[in-house]
Amino acid sequence: MPTDGADKPLAELRAILLGPDRAAWEAMRQRLDNPTRRAEDVAGVLAEAVRLRSRGHSGSHPDIKLRRALQPLLEEALQLSVQSNPRMLADALFPIFGKAIRRAITSELDGMLQSLSQTLEQSFSWRSLQWRWESFRTGKPYAEIVVLRSLLYRVEQVFLIHRDSGLLLQHVAAPPAQATAGTPLEKDPEMVSGMLTAIQDFVRDSVSGAESENLETVRMGEIEVVLAYGPDAILAGFVRGVAPRKLSRVFQDTLDVIEQKKAEALHTFSGDTSRFDSCRPQLQACLLGQGRPEERTSGSWGARALLFGVPALLVLALIGWWIYANVIERRWTDFAHRLESEPGIVLTHAEKRGSNFYISGLRDPLAADPASLLPASLSSNQVEFHWEEYYSLVPRFAAQRQLAELKGQLQKRAFRFTTGSAEIPPEQRFLLEDVASQMISLIQAATALGKTVQIEVRGNHDPVGAEELNAALSRSRGENVRAALIALGVPAARLIAVPEDIEKETCSAVKEEERLFCRSASFRVTGVL
Amino acid sequence: MLKKKICMVGQFGVGKTSLVRRFVESIFDERYLTTIGVKIDRKDVTVGSESVTLMLWDLAGEDDLAQLNVSHLRGASGYILVVDGCRAASLNKAVELQRRIAGQLGPLPFVLVLNKADLRDRWEVQDTAVAEHGWPTFETSAKAGSGVEEMFLALAGKLLQ
Ligand SMILES: Nc1nc2c(ncn2[C@@H]2O[C@H](COP(=O)(O)OP(=O)(O)OP(=O)(O)O)[C@@H](O)[C@H]2O)c(=O)[nH]1
Ligand SMILES: [Mg+2]
Repeated sequence: MPTDGADKPLAELRAILLGPDRAAWEAMRQRLDNPTRRAEDVAGVLAEAVRLRSRGHSGSHPDIKLRRALQPLLEEALQLSVQSNPRMLADALFPIFGKAIRRAITSELDGMLQSLSQTLEQSFSWRSLQWRWESFRTGKPYAEIVVLRSLLYRVEQVFLIHRDSGLLLQHVAAPPAQATAGTPLEKDPEMVSGMLTAIQDFVRDSVSGAESENLETVRMGEIEVVLAYGPDAILAGFVRGVAPRKLSRVFQDTLDVIEQKKAEALHTFSGDTSRFDSCRPQLQACLLGQGRPEERTSGSWGARALLFGVPALLVLALIGWWIYANVIERRWTDFAHRLESEPGIVLTHAEKRGSNFYISGLRDPLAADPASLLPASLSSNQVEFHWEEYYSLVPRFAAQRQLAELKGQLQKRAFRFTTGSAEIPPEQRFLLEDVASQMISLIQAATALGKTVQIEVRGNHDPVGAEELNAALSRSRGENVRAALIALGVPAARLIAVPEDIEKETCSAVKEEERLFCRSASFRVTGVL
Repeated sequence: MLKKKICMVGQFGVGKTSLVRRFVESIFDERYLTTIGVKIDRKDVTVGSESVTLMLWDLAGEDDLAQLNVSHLRGASGYILVVDGCRAASLNKAVELQRRIAGQLGPLPFVLVLNKADLRDRWEVQDTAVAEHGWPTFETSAKAGSGVEEMFLALAGKLLQ
């Protein structure tokens, strides 16, 4: 064939011209056709290509197309990863989240402490004083001390529970005398144990779903339940008060030890709890507590009383006695001052003699009775008075004395009458003016002292003669004298004629010559003292 | 000291709570207070020469809304399938529950209880339907008290074998 002849040289030419490239083309074709090779090629440049693409090449904006393309892929990949192995992602994120969460909690706690501090700053009590002292002594913030000291607690019961069945393996309780009644604690521990596991199941099923999420504490009224979990057992503690965080650690550590020691018994447990009797010491060690103040007082009461009570009582008694003595002394000095200010009394001496009070001085007989001035709070048995009499120059007493003198003078005056007569004899009439002026000055002196005097004019008779006549005689004698005195200016209201024969007895005794004195009118003053 | 966990399962209102009360407290109450969640009781019994503490988990009965939570049966030594003789459906429910429990927890000793024996003339449950399963079966009345103790003691005996 002519074409054959013509082709040959062409092919030769081609071989000459393209000979070396042919091999390269062949290799290239193979690379493109073979997916393995292609993948290897792309892998070689993929990282660099993505880097270029994301940075934006030759100065243009970073390309977001790649991100858009990758986003759904990444999301799906993450989802898949979480579904198949959440642990990896959790572990990866924990360093970030863990720190953030811890920081958030810390700052929250700080805030709480601060506000607590503020509220407490103002409150004041014996306790707060103690805490303040402790804060000062230890250099810790006051609020921290309060939180520390308020965190009183007591582990009252500890349950070791078989995790699957909820059966109680062992149970220890604090001495019943100290365990307080009226709580779920009184329930059968077997049932409590079951209920705790049931609650645990319930929470796990309804709240989370992930088995690893376990309740660490449950609060039941006043009781806080601290729970520690192992693969086969649960350790639960009933805590009264606020369980400190370290308690969870103690429980967890204890449980770890028990799980290790009793691994075989726990795995094969079929209801025989006697195999766990040897765990009791460990459980007992969990009955921890930080004594409450009221428990402390119940401890060694006698010693405490000796230490604090007796001296305290003594001090109290001393203070009480001192106050009492002071009050009494004050009362006595007040009384002495009161006496001194009393007119007609001069104190020369006042002092305490033992439990009694001794007062001596000068006293005007007209002055008030000192005993009557004693206040009700002072007993008259406790005071001794020694008075010297004297005449005070106090004007009131002078006037009083003058009045007394006038009274005495007037009471010595008398009018004599002849036998059977009621007429004032003429030789005695001159006395009338004298007596009248005496009376007027008496009445004036009394009025000046604020007193109202009454002067009785007494008519008398001698024992001789008929009774009736004598009575009439005495009445007339008194009335006559009274009338005469009124005529001379004596206020009628102050004069009373007294008809009775008061001196009858006296007069009947005397002799005839003396009877003259019985036929008389005399005076008595009342209302002066 | 031996302790055993026993679960009461069955449809709602078949008398699980009543059986436990009859057994533990010897009380029966006509009122129906449905159980929510779990109620745990305890009874000490003697089987042969051995004394056993039975922890009785009275589980909420199944109804259309709430499914029995089989995880409550974990660690149980045995269970009691309760059927209300007056309701044929409760037998079907018991059969279904038995299957589910055995599926999840493996073979466990159990007994079938036909309760409300005092109403036997009104029973819907057929003896043949019961017999076909070949399960250990007891007839009880929580109201009258008949058969209750025997049933619990029989199961306890089974658990000790
Ligand atoms: N006549 C009769 N009534 C019974 C008997 N046992 C239970 N009952 C009654 O049946 C009703 C339901 O009893 P429960 O014991 O509460 O039933 P339950 O199975 O616990 O029900 P849930 O807790 O809802 O699952 C109550 O009104 C009981 O009084 C029985 O033996 N005889
Ligand atoms: Mg019930």
